[in-house]
Amino acid sequence: MPASNDAVRELIYRSCRCLDLQDFDGYIALCAPAFRYRITLYSPELRKEMIWLNHDRDGLTALLAMVPRHLVRLGTLQRNATVYTIDRNEADSRADVMSAFSVFNIDNEGRPSVFAVGHYHDTVDLSDDQPFLLSRNARLASRDLGIGSHIPI
Amino acid sequence: MSSRSAETWEQTPPLPEGHYVSGRVYNDEEIFSDEREHIFKKIWHFVCHESEVAEIFDFRTTERADVPLIVTRGEDGRIRTFINVCSHRGARVVMEPGGNARTHTCFYHHWTYDTQGSCVSMPRPEGYDGTGVCKENMGLREVKTEVKWGFVFVNLDDESPLLDEYLDGALDIFDQVLPKAELEVFHYHRAEIDANWKAYQETIVDLYHEFMHVILRDTQMPAASMDDREMRTYANGHVTIAGLKADYDKYEGWTDRNDASCFPGLDPDDARFAPLFPAQTFITRGTVMRVDTVQPITAHKCLIESRGLGLKGESEEERMMRIDHHNEYWGPFGRNVTEDAFAAEGCEFSFGKGAALRGIIARDEGGKGQCDSGLRGFWTEWSRRMGRPFSHPTND
Repeated sequence: MPASNDAVRELIYRSCRCLDLQDFDGYIALCAPAFRYRITLYSPELRKEMIWLNHDRDGLTALLAMVPRHLVRLGTLQRNATVYTIDRNEADSRADVMSAFSVFNIDNEGRPSVFAVGHYHDTVDLSDDQPFLLSRNARLASRDLGIGSHIPI
Repeated sequence: MSSRSAETWEQTPPLPEGHYVSGRVYNDEEIFSDEREHIFKKIWHFVCHESEVAEIFDFRTTERADVPLIVTRGEDGRIRTFINVCSHRGARVVMEPGGNARTHTCFYHHWTYDTQGSCVSMPRPEGYDGTGVCKENMGLREVKTEVKWGFVFVNLDDESPLLDEYLDGALDIFDQVLPKAELEVFHYHRAEIDANWKAYQETIVDLYHEFMHVILRDTQMPAASMDDREMRTYANGHVTIAGLKADYDKYEGWTDRNDASCFPGLDPDDARFAPLFPAQTFITRGTVMRVDTVQPITAHKCLIESRGLGLKGESEEERMMRIDHHNEYWGPFGRNVTEDAFAAEGCEFSFGKGAALRGIIARDEGGKGQCDSGLRGFWTEWSRRMGRPFSHPTND
């Protein structure tokens, strides 16, 4: 039975929650074997598209596994997402899902600041009742990310 | 070994002058203001690569020393730079960060300028009859501009020396690469961080801080002998670092770059740095190049601009490889630059309000290994231009 729209929404929200909690194994478990992750944006300075991160599932798994060895930004990142559209293609058992996201940094003193704003453009595998992420393009609208982050958005 | 009392914490360290930096250089407002006048308004600034203004009438806007600039390629193919301020009432003329335009019209009263900086029209000019104000003498203020190996430099000081004299050969560390390679910018980002500009720039010159980065501990430090490194300082405070190698596959999840398409004249495991005084850095890592600038915003905040460059005309597959190699280290999600910014903000936390009194730059390895000679070269030039010894800049 193909995954429902409710299950698709839960997949998107769960992916955010896993990254918030730095539950990287949980995040990867939501991704299909052929998963592709990208962070992209348009540069009005260069008048070109840019790619700021590009990994397949194995590459992303390795990247996330190394995070604990790094000197990472203080505090936590918290993702707020809203699923805007789910365009189902039943013939291909896929859906194109577009969601808005805002990522806040909560520093060690509890002060919030906006880290990034953009949209997720996801492709979701619907072939089973449990949907999986086939691809995620985290499309940034904001471009100044301060010191940056070791953890994807 | 023991902790220190207020007396021993505050006393001058038992080091030669020039082997420690006063904390005042990071937080004193008068020093900050002097830096803008004595350094940033006097030196050559890298502003963009020629590929960012590749076509006739292409332009980029930026700012240096708080001065807004427009860099544009004229109909004659020449790249010129102007202060992005209308001659009439001082409004900013060009708003967009980049684009293509034959002329630029100020939004306020519609004075229009061409790509050579001439004012080509003003509405109802007859109102200025008899005042001497006419389009013929109301052009934009042009700024000295030179292009070296595709890199566009400007100088706000009309009396400055030529660019090559200023560089003093520091970019020659890339002379096997840059004259032979036509480059193109594929990555650009800017980031404001909470740190004095010098605290970030120091992370580039300070090789001892390799210990902070797991990627450098894993891939760079074991890859070649410390004795193979060559740190050189130049007359105007520039530094070059050569002899660095990297075994990229020593970092979990990465592959080596041995089969990758390198820049001409470079080996895949080669790394070279040229931090130019005061705050611009050219770096190659075999397959990819990064150019950074750091600009002061306040004594406690700076703006980092970072570019990644590949070879113009390369295949889509090669470009993607170069983007991936760039992003492994650099960019807002890279494993290296984020940590340098973290370090600069960490120093701001303590120097910003005066808790830290000084930094020690006393490592002497004869220009090899993790020598502080580059830092001392930077600070010696800072003192020369500022007329203040960096160890005691406020005579304290």
